[in-house]
Amino acid sequence: MKDVMGLIVTGENDINLGELTSQRAVAALPIAGRYRVIDFQLSSMVHTGIKNVGIITQKNYSSLMDHVGSGREWDLHGKQGMVILPPFLTRENMGVYSGLLDALKSNTNFLSRSKQEYVVLTNSHTVYNIDFSDALRAHVEKKADITVLYSRNKASGVDDDDTYFTVDENNKVTGMEIGALAPKGDAASLKIYITKRELLRQLAEQGAANGLHDFERDILQRNINEGTLAVYGYEYDGIAWQIDSIQSYFNFNMALLDSEFRHNLFPTERPIYTKVRDDMPARYSGEAECDNSLIANGCHIEGTVINSILFRGVKVARGAVIKNSIVMQDAQIQEGAEIDHCILDKQSVIRRNGRLIAPAAYPIVIAKNVVI
Amino acid sequence: MRKKKCVAMLLAGGQGSRLGILTKKVAKPAVPFGGKFRIIDFPLSNCTNSSIDVVGVLTQYRPLELNSYIGSGSPWDLDLSNGGVFVLPPYQTGKTGEWYKGTANAIYQNIPFIEQWDPDYVLVLSGDHIYKMDYNAMLRAHIAKGADLTIAVREVPWEDASRFGILNTDENDRIVEFEEKPAHPKSNKASMGVYIFSWSKMRKYLELDEADPKSENDFGKNIIPAMLNAGESLYTYTFEGYWKDVGTIESLWESNMDLLTLPMPIDLADKRWRVYARNPGMPPHHIAKGAKVVNSLITEGCEVKGIVNHSVLFAGVTIDVGAEITDAVIMPGAIIERGAIVRRAIVAENAVIKAGAIVGEETGNIAVVGPGATIASGETVAAGVQIDADAQ
Repeated sequence: MKDVMGLIVTGENDINLGELTSQRAVAALPIAGRYRVIDFQLSSMVHTGIKNVGIITQKNYSSLMDHVGSGREWDLHGKQGMVILPPFLTRENMGVYSGLLDALKSNTNFLSRSKQEYVVLTNSHTVYNIDFSDALRAHVEKKADITVLYSRNKASGVDDDDTYFTVDENNKVTGMEIGALAPKGDAASLKIYITKRELLRQLAEQGAANGLHDFERDILQRNINEGTLAVYGYEYDGIAWQIDSIQSYFNFNMALLDSEFRHNLFPTERPIYTKVRDDMPARYSGEAECDNSLIANGCHIEGTVINSILFRGVKVARGAVIKNSIVMQDAQIQEGAEIDHCILDKQSVIRRNGRLIAPAAYPIVIAKNVVI
Repeated sequence: MRKKKCVAMLLAGGQGSRLGILTKKVAKPAVPFGGKFRIIDFPLSNCTNSSIDVVGVLTQYRPLELNSYIGSGSPWDLDLSNGGVFVLPPYQTGKTGEWYKGTANAIYQNIPFIEQWDPDYVLVLSGDHIYKMDYNAMLRAHIAKGADLTIAVREVPWEDASRFGILNTDENDRIVEFEEKPAHPKSNKASMGVYIFSWSKMRKYLELDEADPKSENDFGKNIIPAMLNAGESLYTYTFEGYWKDVGTIESLWESNMDLLTLPMPIDLADKRWRVYARNPGMPPHHIAKGAKVVNSLITEGCEVKGIVNHSVLFAGVTIDVGAEITDAVIMPGAIIERGAIVRRAIVAENAVIKAGAIVGEETGNIAVVGPGATIASGETVAAGVQIDADAQ
């Protein structure tokens, strides 16, 4: 399955992620102990056999660029490889796209330049590990113009107040509801689409010529209602977790503490690639206590860690207690400090005997580099 | 190819037979070490950190795993347009072609490789030691002394000196005598098997050595004595950091255990001198409810449900409920099932210790379960015993 390219659109609305995305795109958000969200989309594309991936970026994309580098970790540093598509500043475009269609319009050059017949178009805030080959095959067999991936699996992490499709017994999409209070459809959109590259380019150019910005409303919904394009659904019932709020971020990481969930997301035959840091293995001292936690390389644990996720290089000093928390890379929890239901961003420090106890329903976020 | 001041030649062809079952199918430099490394990561990372960016790796014995591990050299930043890491097996020339007969012959056969880079100096390394060393500092000393050959040495305890190749020097560190495993050592400066040669001299002595049919074509036995006899200027360079020969089961186990003392005698967390390794790409390890992990190193991809005490776990190891691991080295992908006990042992890659089996003893020699071997439920492996998957 080589005749397909990938397009990852980053920079979606991340207002509900608060402090976590104030300095970075959601695609670059650290997740699952050693990854960034975009690792899942990139690795899925690579496991599908995709060699040409464009990453459309908007504001705050420096940490994203730093992370993906030349694409080497994903074996995307070859002759085709991976291309970062930063905002192209013009009089019409000041660097922030007013919708997916707008973002595509600014990058039609990349689409024209690419050679593959099909394109997988994905958002950058959904965590999944999908081999798209089956969906692609279905797309070709149904002679679809656009195939939309959807899920009926509520436990998979799909946002339940979002976009729903109604599909018939042949998986043809007959209806689409956006933000409906009581949706009639039960097929939640994963906001991953498959189409012909040339069609996507045409839709983007026509849409822009008509002053349209919103891919979902102005292209998908309209064409489904009017029946001008053949839109088909493809059901995916595995994990597809949308990271669009602090709570969904927290819940996803905690879900990983379940072995079955973890093994479903990280099957041995489809590893998730990420930037390598060359940390040594995690060190546990004689006083270390650890219960139901995920610990990355480079951690140094002398205290107590319960129901938590520790990213690479986290230091937990003697007598420190971490419960129900997510601690990003190189953060430090000093002697006697205690945290519960916290999300500590990179390099943050909880000083000696500090205490941060948050309610389960509302985890506290400590921003990058903050010392408490 | 552009000229290089110094190129490194890493001797990785030996079998390392003292590692027994662990090197039955792989060359010694490919043996796993320290939870995420292989032995060869240490000299390769030293080269990268010392800005030496041409490394020839001389392979002969069981090279496949080593070759694929080295790959393009990208984990060590040695995938370069001008330079990089090159795997150099013996090859045919015209009608002839032969195996590497000895360490010196291995380099001799690769004179054309070295000449491509027109180097002034050649650094000779071996793939059986754990150490972090700035070869550039040694090169500076070599140049400052105007030496033809500089040999890195470390001062070993006097009582151990008779186990090493010992270099006797004058007060300026100039070598006056080389003695292999002397019964009555006159010095405690032991050779580390790390040499820097000035290339023109090295080439001359390699050619002389090759022309001598009685020679064993070995650096220690032939080249160094020949250069000393001819009055060339040979110097020692004293290295003071951690250095361990991991050529035996006991020393490999010991060196892994050294990483569990605090502070670590060899700091592998030092960000200014990283030891690079190929990454297995696994999620962080999981410590389950009811598990206990103390004084240990645990690598990504492990699933720990049992008790791990004073041990080193490599990537993707499973320790099931009720299993107890003490003073052990568990290599990648090994599975220790329910209630199994492992003490003072090395469990090699993808080995399986079935429920209730017992490997090793509290005292005595190290027990070894070979790569891919299975210890059946209820079976016992005594201290010092090695289990070979092929013999099962």
